[in-house]
Amino acid sequence: MKYLEYEFDPFFTWVNRPKIMYGPGLRSEIGFELNQLGGTRALVVTDKGLVNAGVAKMVTDAIEASGDLELAGVFDEVMQDARIGIINKGAAFYRECKADCIVAVGGGSVMDSAKAINILIDAEADDFGPFAAQLGLYDGARQLPPHIALPTTAGTGCEVTYAMVVLDEENHAKLGVAHPFCNADIAMLDPELMVKLPPKITAFTGIDALTHAIEGATALTREPIADAMCLHAIRLVCKFLPLAVKEPDNISARGHMLMASNLAGMGFINALTGGVHATAHALGGIYGIPHGLANSIMLPWVMEFNSEEDPERFVMVADAMGIDTKDKDPADVAKEAVQAVRDLIKEIGLTETLRDFNVPAEREQLTALVELAYSDSQAPYNPRELTEDAIFDLYLKAI
Amino acid sequence: MEYWKNENEPIEMFVKMFEKIYEDPELAPGFKKVNQLILFDYTQDGPNCCFYIDTRAGELKVGPGKPGEDPALVMSLSADDAHRSWSNKMNAVMAITRKKIKVKGSATGLLKLAPQLKKIAVIYNGILKESGKENIIL
Repeated sequence: MKYLEYEFDPFFTWVNRPKIMYGPGLRSEIGFELNQLGGTRALVVTDKGLVNAGVAKMVTDAIEASGDLELAGVFDEVMQDARIGIINKGAAFYRECKADCIVAVGGGSVMDSAKAINILIDAEADDFGPFAAQLGLYDGARQLPPHIALPTTAGTGCEVTYAMVVLDEENHAKLGVAHPFCNADIAMLDPELMVKLPPKITAFTGIDALTHAIEGATALTREPIADAMCLHAIRLVCKFLPLAVKEPDNISARGHMLMASNLAGMGFINALTGGVHATAHALGGIYGIPHGLANSIMLPWVMEFNSEEDPERFVMVADAMGIDTKDKDPADVAKEAVQAVRDLIKEIGLTETLRDFNVPAEREQLTALVELAYSDSQAPYNPRELTEDAIFDLYLKAI
Repeated sequence: MEYWKNENEPIEMFVKMFEKIYEDPELAPGFKKVNQLILFDYTQDGPNCCFYIDTRAGELKVGPGKPGEDPALVMSLSADDAHRSWSNKMNAVMAITRKKIKVKGSATGLLKLAPQLKKIAVIYNGILKESGKENIIL
């Protein structure tokens, strides 16, 4: 297809700080790399699921075998979503075990918690609450202590994003908090760490990556560098996600999905997202629905809503999905793209309805959810105006 | 300053804008929910170039200068960027990352009003027009 020309903002910036390394077995390089950054005693931040599955041990063994780095401790209390209380405990544990660097091993919740812990360590502070409330931590920001991230899911792209999403448990809301140096100094993509990931989590985290890529390529703030990243991420997800779900041990499929997640992460953190994220954050905050799963349910509905007004925006997305776009009406192409997403979600066995999470089907009971989505930090970047009525309708369709 | 002749001009416009916002049946309830004392600090363009809004306890107040007590949130930027921002011509995320807007305190309440910026800009442009400042409408 002909590359779609469009007017992007006359000014945009592209930021991507981390060094990215890829390779099966790459964890053996953690010691050397952290040592180069000045780290000597590493705190591994992870969760109990990864400890029980033996994935955390694959990393701690690599650290201990390196000879370059001591293992100061393992903090495995991270739960679904980065939570302020747990972040505070993690920072206290970092100090208690006299760590001087972090190795994050996990999905988005772990990697975001590690970012927040590192901010607390640098600021010599105990409570992340006031930091989270500021949303942007740019004033006086400086390089943080050494930090390597090894993602164990291919979805969030948190290893490269300079922001974190923190659950405000008191207000049942998710807060996006940005800091220019919070992402890892090195993102280590080791697909061997992913082979134990269950198919369902592989599936919905993969759709999270697809959502980042589609929203990054269609947001109001889209730009050509993010397009390059996001469109290739779409190609990779469409080809390799079904394979990674069917064949968990397939290192090639896992590796390609890690790349897709990474590329989409770099894309969306610069181009931002839109309505899928706004509605999914609210679902996570109020109903505790895992982020990838909430994205998966909302993605086709929001795509459909956006493409009704501006189908051309979805032509490049469709092309990246492998849909023939030549000489076709953009509206038809956009419909095919939405259908392709629905087919993919079905193929990998994910639910398509919010009913499974007890989200009420009555409009009156959705008010708090709608208000939260309407005020989400990503809502203003949706390509079509998201009114409260539009959000109501999107949720009702998804139930 | 690119848009303003002196430090009083922007504050006069912004205070008038908030007086109008508080009369708006669609916008006022959202501001009540913010429930905060907020200082908009443009003092980099003059020592008196600032104003505050107080939306605590269900009331809606606005005034020039600094409030009598410590604000829960201070938004610091230039008066020109404030003009761009109230005109809905500024990408807030970009502005924060480039330190054009500095945030001190909890911004979660104010964030909830981001989707209203389009309506606020209409009111703001109306105020500029009434005040004979059409030339700076963006």
